[in-house]
Amino acid sequence: MVLVVLPSLLATQAGGQGRFEVDAATVEHALQQLPVADLLFDEAGELRRLVNVYVDGKDARDLGGLHAPVGDAREVRVIAAVAGG
Amino acid sequence: MLLLCGTRKGLFLLHGDDTRSRWELEGPLLTGWSVYHAVRDPRDGSVQVAANNFVYGGTFQRSEDGGKTWKRSEGVGLPEDSGLKLEETWHVEPGREDGEIWLGATPGVLFRSADGGESFELVRSVLEHPTREKWQPGAGGMCCHSIQLDPSDERRMYIAISAAGAFRTDDGGESWTAQNQGVAADFFPEPDNFPEVGQCVHKLLLHPERPDRLWQQNHCGVYRSDDRGDTWERLEGNGLPSGFGFPLALDPRDPDVAYVIPEEGAENRVTPDGRLGVYRTADGGASWELSSEGLPEPAWGAVMREGFSFDAEGGVYFGTQSGSVFATTDGGGSWTELARQLPPILSVEAAWS
Repeated sequence: MVLVVLPSLLATQAGGQGRFEVDAATVEHALQQLPVADLLFDEAGELRRLVNVYVDGKDARDLGGLHAPVGDAREVRVIAAVAGG
Repeated sequence: MLLLCGTRKGLFLLHGDDTRSRWELEGPLLTGWSVYHAVRDPRDGSVQVAANNFVYGGTFQRSEDGGKTWKRSEGVGLPEDSGLKLEETWHVEPGREDGEIWLGATPGVLFRSADGGESFELVRSVLEHPTREKWQPGAGGMCCHSIQLDPSDERRMYIAISAAGAFRTDDGGESWTAQNQGVAADFFPEPDNFPEVGQCVHKLLLHPERPDRLWQQNHCGVYRSDDRGDTWERLEGNGLPSGFGFPLALDPRDPDVAYVIPEEGAENRVTPDGRLGVYRTADGGASWELSSEGLPEPAWGAVMREGFSFDAEGGVYFGTQSGSVFATTDGGGSWTELARQLPPILSVEAAWS
């Protein structure tokens, strides 16, 4: 099991829950189980451009992206990129 | 009376008493979301919004408890074979049948829900319109921002898309005809400035008591049609300082009355000469009079295309990019500021609560 931690805006959209224990092999598998998966992924199943994911503090892009293995990691954390206005 | 004010930073509600003279501000609700449009569905009292976030995309959300909690419609998107992706949601229009809700979005697409907004189905006939390759996005994207249902014919409705133009269906959405004859597209050189499609409609409204009459505020002028959009008459001059502007309001009691808030022009999108002014016609657009009593001056304001609304008894309301909400209950004789210093206002809708 891995702990997925969401930023507060997504937690509000998930009914007030910001931490989820999920059983997952990959980053994608972990995120797709969340009740806010439609906000993280677009209709083509691609992770939205400004959504960053960290596995035990390491950028998932450097670990293989969505296919990065969760393995025995403790935490998958979603953080919105620095952008906007 | 309830005013739903969608802003760049959430939704605000202005609760008014029956005299529309005392108002209380509630909000922000739905924090973190840009609320492009919010309505109160007269059928069940639910609040429905087109809410967008720069990270998490475009959504439709619905609240049954006055905005305290929200339910998002999951799976609003475009099919893979279109090669397109949903960008932003723009306009919510409660439908005719039980549970029917229409949703306009970018890039130039229309969705229909049959289950009260739990799910939405793409209207393929708009996506696959034979003129689509001639459509262009305006500065706000290729937004489907106007959806009007004809109360006299349940098979007829209208949509408007920037910059594609106005379209009408007479067969319940199976097919759509371009309704742009006589409407200029001056961003094309002559003689190509009156094309079949490609016009930049900024707002399209149907008069609820005389539904064959349509009004539009366009990038290139203010127009009226008395034949369901088959032909349009350009109305500016006669008191209007500019044909450019975004929002439009009507008086449901009198089809000859309309209100616009002009801007100087496409190259300088602020109020002309720093005067925040509403212009009102009472003769179908033949002449226009400035209504600015009670409005600040000078004010280089701007009112977005969804930022103007009206109620059933002649009340008219608008919200500015600088965060003020103004109202008149005497046909524009004077305006009162109901709220100030809100985030930039994107939409205002009036509803009897």
